[in-house]
Amino acid sequence: MKEIVTIQVGDFANYIGSHFWNFQDELLGLAQEPDGDPIYKSMPLDMDVLYRVGETQEGIPTYCPRLVLVGFQGSLGSLSPSGSLYHNIRSSDTSDIITWSGNVSKHASEPRKKNLFLQSLDGEGQGKSTVMGNDAVEERGNALIQVQDKDRVECLENGVQYWTDFSKVQYHPRSLFELHGSWADLQKFDNYGIGKDILSEGLQVEEMNERLRFFVEECDRIQGIQFIVDDSGGFSSVAATFLEDIADDYRNTPVLLYTARSPSSYGNVMSKNESISRSLHDAISFSRLSSLCKLMVPIGLPSLSKSKFSLLHVEDKKLFHSSAVYAASIHSISIPFRMEMLGPVANSSYAIGAMNFGEAIQMLTGQASQNMVSTLDVAMPAPSSIDEKRQGSILRSLHSLTPEIKDDAVDFHAVETMIIHGALYSGGHRASVSQVKDSICASYENEPQKPLFSHLTVALCPLPIPLPFPSIFKSQVGRNGELLPGPTQGDQPKGALDIDSVPMAARLRSSNAITPYIERRLTSMQRYGSQRGTSGAELLHKWGFGREEIEDMVEDLARKVLALNPHSEMSTDSD
Amino acid sequence: MSLRVLNPNAEVLNKSAALHMTINAAKGLQDVLKTNLGPKGTIKMLVGGAGDIKLTKDGNTLLKEMQIQNPTAIMIARTAVAQDDTSGDGTTSTVLFIGELMKQSERYIDEGMHPRVLVDGFDIAKRATLEFIEKFKTPVTIGETPDAEILKMVARTTLRTKLYEALADQLTDIVLNAVLCVRKPDEPIDLFMVEIMHMRHKFDVDTRLVEGLVLDHGSRHPDMKRRVENCYILTCNVSLEYEKSEVNSGFFYSNAEQREKMVAAERRQVDDRVKKIIELKNKVCSGNDNNFVVINQKGIDPPSLDLLARAGIVALRRAKRRNMERLVLACGGEAVNSVDDLTQDCLGWAGLVYEHVLGEEKYTFVENVKNPHSCTILIKGPNDHTIAQIKDAVRDGLRSVKNTIEDEAVILGAGAFEVAASQHLINNVKKTVQGRAQLGVQAFADALLVVPKTLAENSGLDTQDVIIALTGEHDKGFVVGLNQHTGDPIDPLMEGIFDNYSVKRQLINSGPVIASQLLLVDEVIRAGRNMRKPS
Ligand SMILES: Nc1ncnc2c1ncn2[C@@H]1O[C@H](COP(=O)(O)OP(=O)(O)OP(=O)(O)O)[C@@H](O)[C@H]1O
Ligand SMILES: [Mg+2]
Repeated sequence: MKEIVTIQVGDFANYIGSHFWNFQDELLGLAQEPDGDPIYKSMPLDMDVLYRVGETQEGIPTYCPRLVLVGFQGSLGSLSPSGSLYHNIRSSDTSDIITWSGNVSKHASEPRKKNLFLQSLDGEGQGKSTVMGNDAVEERGNALIQVQDKDRVECLENGVQYWTDFSKVQYHPRSLFELHGSWADLQKFDNYGIGKDILSEGLQVEEMNERLRFFVEECDRIQGIQFIVDDSGGFSSVAATFLEDIADDYRNTPVLLYTARSPSSYGNVMSKNESISRSLHDAISFSRLSSLCKLMVPIGLPSLSKSKFSLLHVEDKKLFHSSAVYAASIHSISIPFRMEMLGPVANSSYAIGAMNFGEAIQMLTGQASQNMVSTLDVAMPAPSSIDEKRQGSILRSLHSLTPEIKDDAVDFHAVETMIIHGALYSGGHRASVSQVKDSICASYENEPQKPLFSHLTVALCPLPIPLPFPSIFKSQVGRNGELLPGPTQGDQPKGALDIDSVPMAARLRSSNAITPYIERRLTSMQRYGSQRGTSGAELLHKWGFGREEIEDMVEDLARKVLALNPHSEMSTDSD
Repeated sequence: MSLRVLNPNAEVLNKSAALHMTINAAKGLQDVLKTNLGPKGTIKMLVGGAGDIKLTKDGNTLLKEMQIQNPTAIMIARTAVAQDDTSGDGTTSTVLFIGELMKQSERYIDEGMHPRVLVDGFDIAKRATLEFIEKFKTPVTIGETPDAEILKMVARTTLRTKLYEALADQLTDIVLNAVLCVRKPDEPIDLFMVEIMHMRHKFDVDTRLVEGLVLDHGSRHPDMKRRVENCYILTCNVSLEYEKSEVNSGFFYSNAEQREKMVAAERRQVDDRVKKIIELKNKVCSGNDNNFVVINQKGIDPPSLDLLARAGIVALRRAKRRNMERLVLACGGEAVNSVDDLTQDCLGWAGLVYEHVLGEEKYTFVENVKNPHSCTILIKGPNDHTIAQIKDAVRDGLRSVKNTIEDEAVILGAGAFEVAASQHLINNVKKTVQGRAQLGVQAFADALLVVPKTLAENSGLDTQDVIIALTGEHDKGFVVGLNQHTGDPIDPLMEGIFDNYSVKRQLINSGPVIASQLLLVDEVIRAGRNMRKPS
C-alpha cells in the first residue's frame, strides 16, 4: 500500500491545501539543503506517497502533488489554470490563431498582479524559496534579505485574496480544475441544492472524474484518498457527486474525508428561512457525505481567536490564518501513512508507529459503535512534556478543532490514533522517539479516563514553518516552537521569520463526544425536513430529495446517534 | 417602503423606465454577440487575468465565459444556452432574435402601445411561422443508407461558421463518417460513442478519424510490447489488485502469522483471476501468432502485471467507464465483470494495437477493427485553446449530422428561411389579424430579418440594400439567401448552405416566449438583482 491521492473541493479546502502543500514543499527543500538540519535529511517520510514523478513533453522531469483540486472559475488568482510547469504555448498574439482566417477581436481582462511573494518565487526559478537563517550569507547581504523577507511576509499578512497568493508549490496542470458556473451568484452559493445546479452544466462531472483517473491510473498500490471539502455551501454537493463516482470506480479505495468550515462561514443568519436553509444544509450535507466515505472528520471552529489554543494568535477573518492551523493538523495526521513500513521488530530511532490508511480507518471505525465520524484534536505547538514534572501536558494541551462536540465526554470505548512529531525536552532539545513514547504511555497511566485503544506514532521531524506561513504564534513561542521562559517580549505575533519549526501533536478520536454534532443534524432534519408542506420540506424537494430519501436519512442519523449512546434509549424508555 | 429599508438604494422604477432597462439589456447582449454570426463573423480571443486564453466563435461558449449580472441578460443567455443543450446550435441567432424582438417592440411601446398587444401579435406570428417552417423545410430521406451528400453539406455549413474553410472541409468528412459509424438503424444516435481525444503537439495541427479507439493511457509494465498485431481484446471490469483495505476484514489479527496467512490467501485469489485470463490467452493464441490485450476498468497491481507480461499479454488498467462500452462496440466481444466462465466469445478483435508516447502522456491506439460502431476523433493542436476551439466545432458538426438524420429535414440557410418567413407574415398573415395585434406580427416579421441583416453587416455589406434585394427577389417567387461575398441573392440549395430544422424550430419557439416574458414584467428593482412579479 503506498500512494495517497488528495482531493480538495471548495475555497477553504484549497486554502488548507495550499498550506498543506507548502509544508511538503518545505520538507522536500530542507531534505535537499546541503548543510541543513539532519533531522530533515533522514526524514522517515516517503514523499512519493503524496507526490508523483512526471515529465514534460520537452523531457524535463517534474515532481508534483498527486492532487485534484476544485474551485470556482477565477479562484486561482494570478495562477493560470494550466499551471506554470508544463510548457504550454500561450501566445495571446491574435496572428497566431490557426483556426480562423477571418476577423479576430481580442478581449483581455485586467491582468491579475502577482504579489511580492509570488514575484520573488518567479525570480528564483527552481531554487529554494528562502535563504532565511543561512549563516553563510555575509552580514550586509543578510540584512538586505531580511528586509525583503519581511516585506514578503507582510504582503501576505495584509493582502491574501486567493489561496494561490501564498502558494510556493508547482502544481500539475491536471490538478487545477475550475468549476464553471455561468452567471452564478457566488454570494448565494451557500446551500446543497445550488451546487447540484452548477454541476449539471456541461461535462464538468466527467472532467473531474477524468482528472482523478489520470492520477489513480499511475498508482501501483493506492492506499487511499485524502479528501478535504469546504462543506459550508454548494461545494458539499459537488463533493458528494464526486464521491459517488469514486465509490463506483474505486470501490475498495478508502476515503478519509475532512469536512472543513472557515470561521466566516458561521456568519450571521438573517432571516428564519435562512436559518432553516442553513440547518437543512448542514443536515443533508452531513448525511450525504458521511454515507460516501469511510471516515469523516469535521473540522472548523467558529472562532480560533477565542479558542483554547493559548499559544496561537489567529485572526478569524483571515482565511490565510485559520487554514494554516487545519493544514498543520492534517499534515500531522498524514505522517503515519507516509512512513516507510519497517519490519515488525525494527525500531527506528527516527519514527515509530507506521500505519496505512485502511488500517487507521479500520481501527477508528471498526468498534462496536461503528462510529465513522472522528474528532480532530491538536496541540500546536505541542508543549515539552518529557520531564517528569510536566507529564501529561501534551494530553492536556490537545484541543478539538471539531465543532459542536461534547467537551466533557466520558467514553471508555473511545479509540484514537495520536501523532507526535518534533517533540522537545523542556530544555528545548529534541526528545528521542522512545522518550516521547515512554512519556505518553506514562501519562496515560495516570489518566482517569483511558481510551479503549490508542495507537501512537512518533517522529522526530517537527512541522517546518515555511516563509509564506502566517504570523499566528504568540510571542512566547521560540524559534523551535519551545516556550520561552520569563516575561514575554512584546505582543507582536510571530511567524515564519521568527520561527523555524514547531513540535506538533494531533489526534483522531472516535468517541461519543461527537454525539451533539450528529444530533443537531438529526433534529434539523426531523423538525424542518420531514413534515409535508413546510417550507423546509419544499426546500429539500427543490434540492432534489424525495420524501423517502429524507426518511432514510433520518433513520440513518438516528441509528448513528443511538450507536454512540447505547444506553440513552433505555432512559427514554423508562420515562 | 419596506423595500427601502432592506436596501436603501433600491428604487422602484415606473413601468416604462423598467421596460426600457430590460430592452437595453437585451440590446446590449445582442451587440456583444452579433459579430459572431456566420462564416464572416469575428472570432474572439479572451485573455483571462492570469493569462489563460479562450478562443471562440461560438455564441454558447462566449456567453458562458461572460460575466453577466443583469437579470434580463441572464434570462436571455439561459435561453440561448438551453438552445445549445437541446439542439447543439443556434445560440447566436437566439440572442439576436430576442434582442431584435425587444428592439422592434420598443418603437411601438414608445408610441404608447401596451406590451400586451404586442405579445398577442407575437403569439399569432409564432404559430404562423411554425406552420410555415413545415412547408418550407427540405425533406431528407434517411433510410438504410442516408444521402451522404446532404449530410455533408449540413456539416460543412456548420463547420465553416467555426473554422476556416480548408480545416472545416477536412473535418466535414470526419464528423460525417463518425456519425455514420456509430449509427445503428432504428436506434437514436448516441454521440457519446464517438470519443473525442486530443494531443497537444507543438508543431502538429491535424485531426483524424480513428476507426477504433484511442485510450489516454498505456500499459504499465516495461516488458509489455508497445506494438502488437492481430489482437484478441479482453474488455473487463475485474479487480486484479490485492486490496487489503476491505472494511470488516479485521485489523486486529491475533498474531503476525495469522495476518500473513490472510495476506497470502487474498493474494492467491487475485493470482487465480490472472491465471484464468492467461489460460484463455493460451487457448486462443496457441498455434498462431495472434496477440492478446487486456483492457481493464479496475486496477492491475505490479505482481499481476508481471504475470501477464510473462505470458506475453499486453494489459491496461483503469480504463474509463465509457470506454468499456465503446471498446465492445468497436472491437466486438463483451465487457465481462468476472473471469469465471471466460470463453473465446467474450473477446473482441483489433488488427493493430500500439502505444504512442508524448512526454508523460501515453496513448494506446486500438485500430483496424472489423465493423466498428464506435470511433475516435483525434485532434492534435499546439495549445489548449486551439484544441478546445476545434473540439467545440467538432461537437457542433457531429450534432448537425445527427440532427439531420433525426429531423429527416433541413432548412435552407444564408438567411433564406428568415426572409421567406418574414415575407410570409407580412404578405399573408398580417392581414388576417384584427386590430393592433397586427403590429405585433409586423414586429415579429421585422425581427426575423436580424439574421440576414447581421450576416450582411458581418460581411461588410449595406444591410438596407441587401434586405431590399432579398425581399424583392423573394416576392418574385424565388427562395433566396445572401451571398456573403457580394451581397447578391443566391439560391442556398445550389450553394449547399443548409441549417438544421430542429435548431430553427426551437429558436422560433423560444425567442418570442422569452421576449414576451420580458415585455410583461411590470417592475424591476434597480439595485436588487432580482426581478419581481408585481405583488
Ligand atoms: N456560406 C454561408 N453564407 C451565408 N450564410 C451562411 C453561410 N453559412 C452559414 N450561414 C448562416 O449563418 C448562420 C449561422 O451562424 P452561426 O453558426 O455563427 O450562428 P448560430 O448557429 O446562430 O449560433 P452558434 O454560435 O451557436 O453556432 C445561419 O443563419 C446560416 O444560415
Ligand atoms: Mg451555428
